[in-house]
Amino acid sequence: MIDERHEELAAQHAFGLLEGAERAEFVAAMEASPELRRLVAELTLAATGLAHAAPEATPPEELKARILASAAGRVPAAAPARPPAEVIAFPAWVPWLAAAALGIAALWYGREYSAAQAENGRLQTDAVGALAALHQAQAQLDQERGAALRSLEETQSELARAKQMVTDTSRRVAELSAQLKDQGELAKLKIATLASMLGNSPAAVAVAVWDPSRAQGVLSVSKLPAAAAEKDYQLWVIDKRYPAPVSAGTFVVDPVTGEAHVVFRADKPVDAIAKFAVSLERKGGAPSPQGPIVLISP
Amino acid sequence: MTLALPLFRISFLIKEPQGHLGWSVCHARMTPADDNEDHEQRARANAELIRRMAGGDRDALAELYDKLARPLYATARHILNDAAEAQDVVHDVFLTLWENAASFDSARGAAFSWAVTLTRNRSIDRLRSRSNRARLLGDSVPSDLGYDAEGGFIGGDDLAQLGDRAAAVRSALAELPPDQQKALELAFFSGLTQKEIAEKLSEPIGTVKARIRRGLLKLRDMLAHRL
Repeated sequence: MIDERHEELAAQHAFGLLEGAERAEFVAAMEASPELRRLVAELTLAATGLAHAAPEATPPEELKARILASAAGRVPAAAPARPPAEVIAFPAWVPWLAAAALGIAALWYGREYSAAQAENGRLQTDAVGALAALHQAQAQLDQERGAALRSLEETQSELARAKQMVTDTSRRVAELSAQLKDQGELAKLKIATLASMLGNSPAAVAVAVWDPSRAQGVLSVSKLPAAAAEKDYQLWVIDKRYPAPVSAGTFVVDPVTGEAHVVFRADKPVDAIAKFAVSLERKGGAPSPQGPIVLISP
Repeated sequence: MTLALPLFRISFLIKEPQGHLGWSVCHARMTPADDNEDHEQRARANAELIRRMAGGDRDALAELYDKLARPLYATARHILNDAAEAQDVVHDVFLTLWENAASFDSARGAAFSWAVTLTRNRSIDRLRSRSNRARLLGDSVPSDLGYDAEGGFIGGDDLAQLGDRAAAVRSALAELPPDQQKALELAFFSGLTQKEIAEKLSEPIGTVKARIRRGLLKLRDMLAHRL
């Protein structure tokens, strides 16, 4: 079954209207399809039949004579017959000459054959040598490649170890930095021991630790007798900036153990603490020391 | 017994006053069997003449000339619109047939198609080689087939001289729609490319291709065994 496109191309081909690649493509399709060739033949016949549709015109009488005269001087391509072949008689010595030539040719070809065989042997030897050299070069290349791979693996291992060392060192540096920071902050602490000023309680003792960065401190008291009900112990901070001690609050000791642990802050900003002192004041404390000093730092 | 074979119309050309395609049809009677037999006989006769020509028989060349010269000359003259050049073309074509007769293969096509194709191609080659091609194309590709040109009109006295084949072709062509007739005429006689035909008709090239396809298929069906 021929599709419309090929019918269209066949019609154009019948009029010689196809060109270039389109024509080449159609000719190829036509060669592959007897059905398409038949269609083209039919359409070509119909197309050339249009010659009958041209306006009638009669060629002049002399045209026929002219054509026949021209044809008389020309021979159709396949018309001439070949003349019979001429028989040539050979002299008697020709066969001997031919035999001698054949003998010489045989000798020459035999020598050429031997030379070719020898050359072939040499070429095969060269080929074997070249093949061995090739295998050796390949083996050497494989060995060098293996060494290079091992070296690469070692370098990668060393690199990994170096990275680990850097990580460990960085962590250690961080730890040391933290320690140094802690030590620095510890160095800034004000630590003082307060000794008893009471004749009846000479063992009473207290330790005050002041952290200037936080503006607060810790007081730990032991073996201090409990104050009377209407009294309170009051902690004082003595700073040279102020003419009078600065209150740091009151506290109560355990009447059984005589201990107290309090976190304190000064009522005023202090930065140059010289001493700590504890006095016995009225209940709730006093704005300035009025009672007896019971504990004091050196 | 009455024969119930279908009747084929054989048309003869007459001039129509209003022009356009200038074809009309008269009717004669011919049976398909007659057509087929004539077609085969003509094909065999022409092939035999070509075979004799290949053997150097000039009488065969003369007989072939008598059979083909008129349509070939008419075609060349219509394409070239020049009597002298048309004679040169026909002269060259017959000498080509003479010299290459041995290469003719009847299995590849009819001798008539071979001769017409040679005539058409050489006429178009000459047409295209002219320096004033554009003007000549305009002259040689009239809006119709140009039966008002010298000698083109076939009067009543000439009707009897028209061969069956020419009449059949013209009849078949006259039955095609006008747009298909025009497309086929330009494709065969004008020497224009498809693009140029499309431009001349002011139609898309796809439309022109479709008209050529449909028209030629119909022509083939109508002219089967009649060329």
